[in-house]
Amino acid sequence: MTDATQVAAAASSRDPAVGLAAVASLRGLLESLEELQVGNARAQGWSWQQIAQALRVSRQAVHKKYRRFGI
Amino acid sequence: MFERFTKRARTVVVHAQEIARERRSEAIGSEHLLLGLFAVPDGLAATILSRLQVDRADVEADLGRGAPFDGAFDSAGLATLGIDLEEVRRQAEETFGPGALDRTQAAQGRWRGGHIPFERDAKKALELGLREAVRLGHGFIGTEHLLLGLLHDGRARDVLVARGVGLDGTRALVEELVRKRQAG
Repeated sequence: MTDATQVAAAASSRDPAVGLAAVASLRGLLESLEELQVGNARAQGWSWQQIAQALRVSRQAVHKKYRRFGI
Repeated sequence: MFERFTKRARTVVVHAQEIARERRSEAIGSEHLLLGLFAVPDGLAATILSRLQVDRADVEADLGRGAPFDGAFDSAGLATLGIDLEEVRRQAEETFGPGALDRTQAAQGRWRGGHIPFERDAKKALELGLREAVRLGHGFIGTEHLLLGLLHDGRARDVLVARGVGLDGTRALVEELVRKRQAG
């Protein structure tokens, strides 16, 4: 079995333990990538409104989440 | 319960927490306390273990490696979705500098932050350590009492007993060493 088919088999696994753990790992990565991008956007002078629009969330949500980071 | 712990015994507990975290465990187990004893080499427990010829590498080998560790990220879980963590990390670092992905507060919070609770067998071992101290008439809980507490039950006990370290023999050794220490 090649790596690619192994990956496909795991991704479509009906075992909840495998599927849920994969989702959790993705959320972890997502949080870090979002923080990097939001920080970069703020450093380039983007407003919270602009960032929220690009992330397709409300301005309050993104501001509340990242305000404490001081970015 | 930690107020009667010696400084070294407290350090063992701090190390146990770090070890549990490094091994990506959700709780501090008796095995992490055992590994913590080795992290305080001038403690009486470490002296006793070395006398009984049990070293940290042996115990680690007995316990297995623990969950695969890749910073704050679950590379195996991501691989099941076809995401190559190494590649994501490389791209992030190319744009935002070395260590960019792992330096995010999101990553560090998951990895270092947060309180890790004690597992039941570890809590029990700490309580039994207190009881061992009382039994020996010691007014403090040192690393030696933690070792005795670990020898009653749980994963740490299984590893130690398999390596020939039992409760009675260790108790006798603690009494002998503490007497010597008090004498000199």
